[in-house]
Amino acid sequence: MKFTRKITRRQFGLGAAATSAGIVLPSAARADLSADAEKALYEAAKADSEVTWYDAHHHVELAELYGKAFNTKYPGVKVNVVRTTANIAYQRVAQEIKAGSLQCDVLSSTDISHSMDLKTKGLLEKFTPANAATVIPALQNADPDGFFHVTSTGTIAVTYNSGKVKPVDVPKKWTDLVDPKWKDQVSVGHPGFSGYVSIWVYEMDRLYGWQYFEKLKANNPQIGRSIQDTLTMLRSGERMVAAGSTSTAFESKVKGEPIDVAYQEDGTIVVVAPSCILKGAKKPNAAKLFMEFMSSPAASQIAVDAFGESIHAAIKPKAGLPLDQLKTIIAKPPLLLKAQPELKEKWRETFGV
Amino acid sequence: MTDTTIGQDRGQASIQVPRPAAEQSRTFDWTLLVWLLFAAILVLIVVNPILRLVWESVATEDGGLTLDNYVKAYSRTRYWQALINTVVMGLGTAALAAVLAVPLAWACVRTDMPGRGFVRLSVLAAFIIPPYLSAVGWVLLAGPNSGWLNKVWMALTGAPHGIFNIYSLAGLITIMGLHLFFFIFVFTSSALELVSSEMEDAANVLGAGPVKTAFKITLPLITPAIIGGLIIIFLQSIALFGVPAIIAIPARYPVVTTQLTEFFSNNRVDLAAAYALPLLLITMSLLGLQRWMLARKGFTVVGGKGGERRLVKLGAWRWVMFGYALLVSVLAVFMPLTVLIQAAFSKAWGRGFAFDNLTLSHVNFILFEHQGAVPALVRSILYAGTAAFAALALALVIAYIVKRNLLKGGQVLAFLCMAPFVIPGIILAIGFYAAYAPPPLALAGTALIIIVAFTTRLLPIAYQNSVAGLSSIHVEMEEAVRILGGGRWLAVRRVVAPLLKRSLVGAWILIFVPACQELSTAIFLSGPKNRVLSVLIFDFSEEGKFEQLAVLGGLLLIITVIIVAIGFRIVGRDFMLRRQ
Repeated sequence: MKFTRKITRRQFGLGAAATSAGIVLPSAARADLSADAEKALYEAAKADSEVTWYDAHHHVELAELYGKAFNTKYPGVKVNVVRTTANIAYQRVAQEIKAGSLQCDVLSSTDISHSMDLKTKGLLEKFTPANAATVIPALQNADPDGFFHVTSTGTIAVTYNSGKVKPVDVPKKWTDLVDPKWKDQVSVGHPGFSGYVSIWVYEMDRLYGWQYFEKLKANNPQIGRSIQDTLTMLRSGERMVAAGSTSTAFESKVKGEPIDVAYQEDGTIVVVAPSCILKGAKKPNAAKLFMEFMSSPAASQIAVDAFGESIHAAIKPKAGLPLDQLKTIIAKPPLLLKAQPELKEKWRETFGV
Repeated sequence: MTDTTIGQDRGQASIQVPRPAAEQSRTFDWTLLVWLLFAAILVLIVVNPILRLVWESVATEDGGLTLDNYVKAYSRTRYWQALINTVVMGLGTAALAAVLAVPLAWACVRTDMPGRGFVRLSVLAAFIIPPYLSAVGWVLLAGPNSGWLNKVWMALTGAPHGIFNIYSLAGLITIMGLHLFFFIFVFTSSALELVSSEMEDAANVLGAGPVKTAFKITLPLITPAIIGGLIIIFLQSIALFGVPAIIAIPARYPVVTTQLTEFFSNNRVDLAAAYALPLLLITMSLLGLQRWMLARKGFTVVGGKGGERRLVKLGAWRWVMFGYALLVSVLAVFMPLTVLIQAAFSKAWGRGFAFDNLTLSHVNFILFEHQGAVPALVRSILYAGTAAFAALALALVIAYIVKRNLLKGGQVLAFLCMAPFVIPGIILAIGFYAAYAPPPLALAGTALIIIVAFTTRLLPIAYQNSVAGLSSIHVEMEEAVRILGGGRWLAVRRVVAPLLKRSLVGAWILIFVPACQELSTAIFLSGPKNRVLSVLIFDFSEEGKFEQLAVLGGLLLIITVIIVAIGFRIVGRDFMLRRQ
């Protein structure tokens, strides 16, 4: 199943796709990074001594965990973790390229359209990690030319404060969020900052048209910047319901906080987030090693331990439903790329910020 | 900063004593080269970025010229709205700051209000707490549903909603006013210290009570100082970047700095530059207006020496005054600090004080797990410290050149020193980046680019202090050296420098503190290896990680307070409040 071609527009049976490809046994044996190749790459990376990673995939603690895990696995190659929102990361990279002083080696965005854009402009280094072959087949070949690769997935669903929202009131469809009963109680992020949020905006617009946001506006939502902002608003009781990231919500729930996730009948939004190496990266070998690491099962394990989604079929999510039991929506990168600028502009016109 | 106004050195300019002609012709004064060198450095670090900024706004991709960016940058009502919003916010902030600061300054300098030392310390503390940090504090205090104040209100009254909404224009103004009122306080205090009691006595003799005297005599006399402070606060508030990002976006109250981030995020630095440059006209005309107002009236009373100053006895009113001062300190310092401390040690700040909600995990995470936090803290201190030295050294030499008329065009140099003041940091950053990041300098991502940026940005404070410091040293003392055969260098080394020592320590701190907090330029210039704490705090705020952010902010505060305290020891008394 090819990522760009066969995925149906509305539905994406991730788990099913994986099963049909028969992941359980074969793919690992096929083409992951061999011990020799890893050693050679590691030696080359050591000469680079470090790699700078702009990360919008993960929240700050998780980004640090990845950094630490890499440093532990490959002593002598230090990863400089710069965690920020997708748009800020993209903007910094663009700025660095313009000034001719690239700092970033590996960019992990949550907005696949950024990677598309960089690729189109010829600003990415072509590199396919051997470990990419171990990834759920449906997520492989996100870019048929091999300039960027999916290294993380996440899901957006309704998240809510379970101490304040009665079970009967829990939103079942995305349209419930714009019900007037949630006036002053909705929290969202900003598509101008967050890659996750911009994909959510894209999907809502596609499903329900821009009126969705006109109605949302009438509900006076709390607009933060990152999608993680919404969790803060729920935890503090500032707001009751949000369009949020499921992984951090589950993490809070397990910690005993009054937070829960409601998957929506009209679709849980799956964000496939790519990583890429910048053309002219100062630490190319360390960057490659890091890409291998991000595509490896070990990286999925870290995500799963932090209640995130796995990109390896053998590693099961710790909380929440497997994606094959959900109705999922996944955006096509070229369409996203095309729609993004206008949607962000519309958002700003509607909400004023 | 103790001078009452920006660029107020006309008074001293007239004291120029003609130097003996013989001395000038004696030998070539090699110090001339030093003066020229410093003047060149000044031109380089101030003029270069500004020109680059202008260039960004008019250059086309292929090197041609265009005004297209200006048309585009003002093409939408939304963009104009942000501009209007910003002016409203700036005016509101300046007004609030004056209401907060002027009575306090008067009470601290001229009355027998109790706890004056405490009040001064609180004012200083309000200045030391970075505004974006108090913004987060105020989110925790006055979030419409979850803020402590609102929770208390709802508990007391049974109301379904709170009464405060920090995500509003009023919220923005409150946070900014409570931080920036420091400037009016300092300016007004130093002006008040020069108002002699004799004039107030005259009013008293003629039957006016203390309040009437204050309004009829004292207040008009310190008006120029207040106006100077108002203008500075207006300019500072419209340039703030962190507070609007945290407050104005949820408030849906777009301002210039949030609008600029939009241009940046679309990689339209050219539009950002074009959008920002007309702002300079506003700020420059404001400063021009101030100069004109001061020149028109001869406020000769303020500025002289002599005259006796006694404290006004307020009677029972002293406690009312103290109550007001206490209220201001509680709002500006104690409340935001309390909630931030609570957040730093809470599993979830929203749950309030509870033993099972206490944790050291955030402290542990910041200190031991987050690989970027401690280096960022160290960098903040190092960069701010270095920039403070650099700015002071440059400013002092330039001030000396201007005061002693050592080079032609001294006034131009003086203007250049003050110029960075009128340009919001985030705009200046565009110029810095264009000037220093690409080859041949290729300073992007280095410590130097941040240090140079901070130096330029804070040069005006350094210059004001240098001018004030030098004004206290009469040229006669140097001339004594020179009559006895010593050169200029000897005079500077043995007379000027020792006399200035104390006031320079104070000035260094006044630069160091804002440099430690500086976010607006740093956010644009910061890469992985020169990331300072303010930028890291900002990144945390983006994710709503208030607990960890509180720990980071706390660390910054602790270090700043220690350094300021050392400054106190060296200077002896509170440096910021006395005329040097």
